[in-house]
Amino acid sequence: MWDVMMWPIVACLLLPGLLVYLGMHVVRRGIIFVDIAMAQMASLGVCFAVMKHMDLDSPLTFWISLGFTLLAAALFAFTGKRTGEVPQEAIIGIAYVVAAAASVILLSYSTEGDEQIKNMLIGNILLVTKQEIYRTLALFVGVGVFHWFARKRFMMLSFAPEEAVAIGVSVKLWDFLFYATFGLVVTSFVQIVGVLLVFTYLIVPAVCGILTARRFGVRLAIGVALSLVGGVTGLMVSFYQDLPSGAAIVCVFGVLLVLAGIVSIFVKGEPRSVDA
Amino acid sequence: MKYHITVLLTVIAACTGSAWAKLNVVTTLADYAAIAREIGGDHVEITSMAKPTEDPHFVDARPSFVVKLRAADILIEGGAELEVGWLPPLLQTARNSKLETGAVGRVQASEGIRLLDVPATLSRAAGDVHASGNPHFMIDPIIAKAVAAHIARAFAAADPANAAVYVTNEKKFETTIDAKLQEWGKALLPFRGQHLAAYHDDWLYFARRFGFEVDVFLEPKPGVPPSPKHLAEVIGQIKAAHIKAILVEPFHNRKIAEKVASSTGAHVVDGAQYPEALPNTATYVQLIDVLVARLTTALKN
Repeated sequence: MWDVMMWPIVACLLLPGLLVYLGMHVVRRGIIFVDIAMAQMASLGVCFAVMKHMDLDSPLTFWISLGFTLLAAALFAFTGKRTGEVPQEAIIGIAYVVAAAASVILLSYSTEGDEQIKNMLIGNILLVTKQEIYRTLALFVGVGVFHWFARKRFMMLSFAPEEAVAIGVSVKLWDFLFYATFGLVVTSFVQIVGVLLVFTYLIVPAVCGILTARRFGVRLAIGVALSLVGGVTGLMVSFYQDLPSGAAIVCVFGVLLVLAGIVSIFVKGEPRSVDA
Repeated sequence: MKYHITVLLTVIAACTGSAWAKLNVVTTLADYAAIAREIGGDHVEITSMAKPTEDPHFVDARPSFVVKLRAADILIEGGAELEVGWLPPLLQTARNSKLETGAVGRVQASEGIRLLDVPATLSRAAGDVHASGNPHFMIDPIIAKAVAAHIARAFAAADPANAAVYVTNEKKFETTIDAKLQEWGKALLPFRGQHLAAYHDDWLYFARRFGFEVDVFLEPKPGVPPSPKHLAEVIGQIKAAHIKAILVEPFHNRKIAEKVASSTGAHVVDGAQYPEALPNTATYVQLIDVLVARLTTALKN
């Protein structure tokens, strides 16, 4: 088992931490589908490059894809009014469907089978390689360090935006930085583990943490712990039952969420508020 | 009691002994597995990664694939980019030196086969992903014979002790195909020269063998879902050429074919390129039997 599942297990231990942290922000801001929308924008960039007859693994394709991701970051940062009648989730959803539909149209211009493109865009945790883990980890460490130094700003914008406005923080700039770093993390993670897992790692641990604890640090710790348990358990289930690995992990997370919900009934006491 | 244990141990020893000696063969697709089974008989242990009803372009990797590829002595694959979306990462993860390109254990079925529809230039601009030509060649029984010979050679090289068995089985397969070709040819002779429609461009080799033209496709381009304008054109073409049959496979969207059929009077024919994808098609020959029978029925109407 070890020789087949070693790198998937390593990936499930090293990489999700940052996603769980970002997930806390995402859930708090109520922009649940932003990851899928950003991943779709990145893949729209790849489709655009393919239509322009560039090679899938050429540097230019990567830069175009990154450009589309930043474009999405700018779009979400500048449309992200925290009041008003159109919720930001609507903009995110619209960005997703339009990007998805535009990809279909662009691919229909490319001449033949698109299996390579689809394969490149959507990874499989079972087949993750050492190099991919190192590369992704390096990026995550970089983004993580940036978020560590800027944590006060990001926390304030997610958890107490009125305060940020009051003290004159440039909300649009910091939102853009948030979405841009978030987009980098999500698109690189999608390429090695697939869309289902990215969504799961962002949202489920964060929700479990919120259900069972009050303080941000405790919630984060619970989320990270669950992400490790869920990932490794899912990989074990996948190996012993011979199931597609990503789907097995997602289902294990579903079970964990139900358990967290049951636990929350017992730990409930005072009304939960956020102490950032 | 003691006797029973001795018997049990002997049986276990015999089982593990023979399993030990067996060649471990992994195939990407079910057609290679069916033919490998006929050539290898009891001397090989065969696993096909793709299910017969699965789209060969997209196969979901499972942990057992990696385990099987690690333990494999021989891998049989098309070698013509049909499995390019999913096989290379699996091989990269399995890291089995016996299966490296050019090794005895790596059988690339398309080797030595003249593929049709090879794009004139090899840049992405011209035509691209299947750069080596149309990879759906196994559905031509004469090509299947050549691939069977290729598989037999690989088995004999990997397991010289049973080489004679593999050669004999391969000859038997060849003889069966030769005899059947007469039968199939005769059944389809009345419809020679007819045009057919298909969902995906993967009947080219079959059509060439039996004298059909499959030249109307529901997909505007391979792998691209039909657009309304394209379907309107297809309906016009089917009416103009009096096409009577639309071939679809289990993983295609049958509803689209039914829609076209209902507005043209053509029949949807449930075909398949992989043994066991249709009822009573355990072997390659049975698969062609069923295809010929279904086409004959549809075209007679």
